[in-house]
Amino acid sequence: MLKLPYIQLPQVFVTGSSFLSRLQDSFLKDARDYQILFLAMFLVLGIGTRDWTLHPELMLAIFASCLLTQLVWTVISDRRSIPHLQPHSISLNLRSAVITSLGLCLLLRSEHYETMILAGVLAISSKFLFKNDRKHWFNPANFGIVAALTLTNDAWVSPGQWGDEIWCGLLFLGAGGIVLKRVGRWDTSVAFLGSYAFLEAVRNFWLGWTWDVLAHRLMSGSLLLFALFMITDPRSMPNARVGRLIWAVSIALLTFFLRNNFYLSTAPFWALFALSPLTILIDRVFKANRFSWSSLTNAKPTSLSSHLSPNH
Amino acid sequence: MKLLRTLIGVVTACLIVFCFTPAALAFCGFYVAKADTKLYNQASQVVIARDGNRTILTMANDFKGNVKDFAIVVPVPVVLKKEQVKVGDPKVIAHLDAFSAPRLVEYFDADPCAIMQRRGEDRVMSAPSSQSVNESKPRRGGNLGVTIEAKFTVGEYDILILSAKESGGLETWLNQSGYKIPSGAKQILQSYIRQNMKFFVAKVNLAALKKTETQQLRPLLMAFESPKFMLPIRLGMVNANTDQDLLVYILSPKGQVEVSNYRTVKVPSGDQIPVYVKNEFGGFYKSMFQTAYTKEGRNIAFLEYAWDISNCDPCSAEPLSPEELKQAGAFWLNQSSPNRSSSNSTFITRLHVRYTRNKFPEDLMFKETPNREQFQGRYVLRHAFAGAAKCEAGNQYRKSLVQRQEKEVQTLAKLTGWNTQEIRKKANITQAPKPFWETIWR
Repeated sequence: MLKLPYIQLPQVFVTGSSFLSRLQDSFLKDARDYQILFLAMFLVLGIGTRDWTLHPELMLAIFASCLLTQLVWTVISDRRSIPHLQPHSISLNLRSAVITSLGLCLLLRSEHYETMILAGVLAISSKFLFKNDRKHWFNPANFGIVAALTLTNDAWVSPGQWGDEIWCGLLFLGAGGIVLKRVGRWDTSVAFLGSYAFLEAVRNFWLGWTWDVLAHRLMSGSLLLFALFMITDPRSMPNARVGRLIWAVSIALLTFFLRNNFYLSTAPFWALFALSPLTILIDRVFKANRFSWSSLTNAKPTSLSSHLSPNH
Repeated sequence: MKLLRTLIGVVTACLIVFCFTPAALAFCGFYVAKADTKLYNQASQVVIARDGNRTILTMANDFKGNVKDFAIVVPVPVVLKKEQVKVGDPKVIAHLDAFSAPRLVEYFDADPCAIMQRRGEDRVMSAPSSQSVNESKPRRGGNLGVTIEAKFTVGEYDILILSAKESGGLETWLNQSGYKIPSGAKQILQSYIRQNMKFFVAKVNLAALKKTETQQLRPLLMAFESPKFMLPIRLGMVNANTDQDLLVYILSPKGQVEVSNYRTVKVPSGDQIPVYVKNEFGGFYKSMFQTAYTKEGRNIAFLEYAWDISNCDPCSAEPLSPEELKQAGAFWLNQSSPNRSSSNSTFITRLHVRYTRNKFPEDLMFKETPNREQFQGRYVLRHAFAGAAKCEAGNQYRKSLVQRQEKEVQTLAKLTGWNTQEIRKKANITQAPKPFWETIWR
């Protein structure tokens, strides 16, 4: 988390080299900075090369509502836990709110401010309302999207917006790979994509379609973005590797089921939303089973706290 | 149980057309009305009216061969009864086409010397638009695993609803029954059979056709309920070597419809182009579409029109009357069922897909959105003021006119890929304004 008083902006501009070293020191240390960088890049790329009807004012509404909600909840929860704390020393988790805002900008579409603001407020609020032992029950952007889709009549998601170009897929894979390597949670994406691809391949074979049909289904930019940047949120996934694998495979199964039986093109979002709370259960089960999985569970949970803590 | 029913019942609103004569095979998509002006060689038109899972699908029929050779095979999600099928009025589809077609708008420059700025009269020109019952019980088709689920006549069509266990049997049955199936279709039929689809087979009843007023093949409408919102294009591509154009008019009480498994891209619109294009708008639109299609990677669906159907601005044709809309399938209009919210609004989305086998491996899937943003393919012609305009403002106007016309030439060249010199010649622009440095040191 970023401590507000430590942002010493004026010094950043002293010299070019000090700026770069400062940037390296303060900015790209956290895996989420890479995530912000790539998500922002995708957004620019999407607006620049794709036919998206994204209105700047709606994006602004998302950012403003996410950041303000984060601020309000941070003040409320910090006051509640440490009443004597001075307001200026409140640690504000800006990165998380920015990632959520970028995720909503990339995926959610609406014509109205109210819907976007509702999505932003509920997305961030879900982190503070539905949490358990420093873990969120839901991925905030996913919660915001599902909330907007169910609570309003004018929100939608465009699954075909990225198309299926190879360069798009490679870009997502490359960027996702870098981020996941930093977070140490690549196994979730691999398990999700692997099991989903396997299920689709079996279906494809059974239906007798040629393999380019399968490739077209799997190279969807939206699916890759989901697999590499949404389900990889370390705050809402199980701690133990085996738990993460079970979790990711379950999401893949539900996605496959919803997509092929209910013809939901937004299946991954619903699957993640429905199965996210399983994390709590999985964490309990695999925590108890310390003997078998201790080496795996201990390896990553510490890295989770190190990545998400303000001054590790 | 409901889940089971959904699982069993869900399949698709699918159409494929097999053409019987060699000439017909080249078209092998939906057999539907082409452009009035023959704008596209191989165009099919489909109207889908959809609210929730309820769908009314219209296939226009513009079969040009001998009607006795006409037949279609359409995979459908459920066994259709006679009451679910009817013939429609081809004029309604022609009207939908004209209403949503890309359009030219003309403006006339006012006299720059006139004190009062008159707004030129605006005119709109539409783009050349693309333009006795025998019911029987289910019967087995020998030991081929093909079951005739229903058999009836609607208008000039004899219709069979078939279910099959495997594609080999279905192929043999169709061939034995006189339907010529293109080779290579078997594998694709198999995948539709495994998706639990039935097959809607229609051919022309010549006696019934003679009794009709116009003796023309009318569009076929079918009504069904299914969560699957798609159009199969794979069977239509079995024997097609070239690209095919498909125009889908989607009516929805909610808003725009987009393709969920390919990109939906707005067709270039709003550009100002040289006035002479008025006389060759068809050629312009064809070239522009081809250029945009190539630029976007050939695997996209173009949005040509998205509008609330009750109005238009500018109009390329009169809006459709509620009666016509109902004929086009908008069943929700004035529906007074207590269970459903009655809606009087209809939003039309016109999608133009040019597909080839290598770029469109999967059938088209659609997604309804609440997006009511309006869009139209619209191109602007601006006529220069023809009077003398002998004043300072007139001189300024003439200077700006040269620049404007050159810009229009460049825009047209960029949109269509046409040669700028030829455009200038046709636009009657003698030459481009010279850059300032060309004359200063002479």
